[in-house]
Amino acid sequence: MTDNKHLFASLLIVPLVLTIVLPSTFLVMIHFAPDDPDIQRLLDLLPQSMQTKGLEQGLAELVLNFMLPVFFLIIPIMSASIMAASSFVGEKEKRTLETLLYCPLSVRQIFRAKVLASFLLSMMVSFISFCTMMVVLELEAGILMGMVLIPSISWLVILLLLAPSISLIAVTLIVRRSAKAQSVEESQQSAVFLVIPVILLVVGQSTGLLLVSAWILLAFGLVCTLLAWVLLKTCMGKFTYETLLQ
Amino acid sequence: METVVLQSLSKTYSGGKLAVRQVSLSLNQGEVFGFLGPNGAGKTTTVKLLNGMLSPTEGSCQVLGINPAKEPEKVHRVSGVLTEHAQMYDNMTGTQNLIFYASLFDIPSREARSRTESLLKRLGLENAGAKKLSAYSTGMRQRLSLARALIHQPRVLFLDEPTSGLDPESAQNVNQLIRDLAYREGITVFLCTHQLRYAQEICTRYGLIEDGTMLAEGTLEELRHDVLSDTVLKIRAEIMPAILPFRKSGENQYELDIHSDSEIPHLVRQIVEGGGDVYDVTAQKPSLEDIYFALTAKGKGEAM
Repeated sequence: MTDNKHLFASLLIVPLVLTIVLPSTFLVMIHFAPDDPDIQRLLDLLPQSMQTKGLEQGLAELVLNFMLPVFFLIIPIMSASIMAASSFVGEKEKRTLETLLYCPLSVRQIFRAKVLASFLLSMMVSFISFCTMMVVLELEAGILMGMVLIPSISWLVILLLLAPSISLIAVTLIVRRSAKAQSVEESQQSAVFLVIPVILLVVGQSTGLLLVSAWILLAFGLVCTLLAWVLLKTCMGKFTYETLLQ
Repeated sequence: METVVLQSLSKTYSGGKLAVRQVSLSLNQGEVFGFLGPNGAGKTTTVKLLNGMLSPTEGSCQVLGINPAKEPEKVHRVSGVLTEHAQMYDNMTGTQNLIFYASLFDIPSREARSRTESLLKRLGLENAGAKKLSAYSTGMRQRLSLARALIHQPRVLFLDEPTSGLDPESAQNVNQLIRDLAYREGITVFLCTHQLRYAQEICTRYGLIEDGTMLAEGTLEELRHDVLSDTVLKIRAEIMPAILPFRKSGENQYELDIHSDSEIPHLVRQIVEGGGDVYDVTAQKPSLEDIYFALTAKGKGEAM
């Protein structure tokens, strides 16, 4: 039970920070300190359609549609990794995996069920996080600035394409490691590599080097989907009872 | 009917360790076969090979005619496995665990519930079914694991150190259950242990393995015949005639190795006629332990 509490605590903390604390901080900053010349310069870089809106609204939507999506990607990566690690290596650590293998299930069935469970949970966490974030942001924007924020099409690409594919990549990376890893922490390390490109995106976005449009996100999403599919296929063929019990 | 067959079964691990070397065996239905040897002898590897967890490097094996290397799921349907590496979920109760595993064997839930109840009762866990596994003692876990291995009514049971961690009373209870399963229900039991005295209590036939090699196989009588046939005659007597070849093993205690029980009356008569008073006569046949040590000593002697 304590293990489960620990698991849910780690599943909750990052989404809470990324979808409530961070966006709220941004909004409050925009509301109380918008007169920075640098910010005006950043706004000038934005597409024409966004510049027509008021400064506050423009900034708020800049945060919502350009900054937060990249931060948001950490959520599916993290929740998929936690779930996959505890369902593969966690079972190995607690010696319950071998019991499952002695049941009349093929390795493929066990593999599929575990990947699917990790994936679905990661999606659930991502969707709930998005909804919570929108509710919190709309409330804050409404109360502080008296306006409604409109999420761009990028969010659709993120929720329906990028988050699922990146979750699957995280799951398969963890699972690949799980055959050799002896502890949950050890297996989670492999997913850290996934966070690196996301951090680069965050840096790119915030310094204005790179403004990720919906098109770039779409292309990125398609590449990730392809990668996830290839990883999943090669991973599934590699598993036997022997590799799992090492 | 042959239920478990091993033909020149060998397993070399990828690291190069030869765990099982050319083991051939055949078990009949309803037999309690003791697979005996020290830790690291290859017992657990053999169980894994028989359940398709490992694939053999050479030779083959069958469980009820099914090749575990090719169709492990089919073997799992007819076999139950108890090993210390196969644990259950700590955050679920005993009953929940058993019902979960029953569902993996496609047992309908009503049937699963009734089997769970009767197994818990049979293993003395009727009051522990509603408790979470995290509150279980080692012995309770071991008994629940046995219940889990039996939930799908297997025809072959693989038990790896089934009484480890059990108190004497539960151990006796488990032994009785194993005997019942074999004699009354015709289940074949493949029992691995390093406790030779325990094995002698419960098994009908034995295989002795060391460093992956089978040293000997057979019933206790067969092993005595093949390996160590000498009986030790122990006599408690006052005054032992000096002409008799007995060695003194304690106060008024004498010992002599004999080859056949027919020598006993003559020896006793000689003591009595020589003026000795006999209080106790015991013909001690070699135990499984004596046979095992004789075998390993022989192996080492030959190696030198």
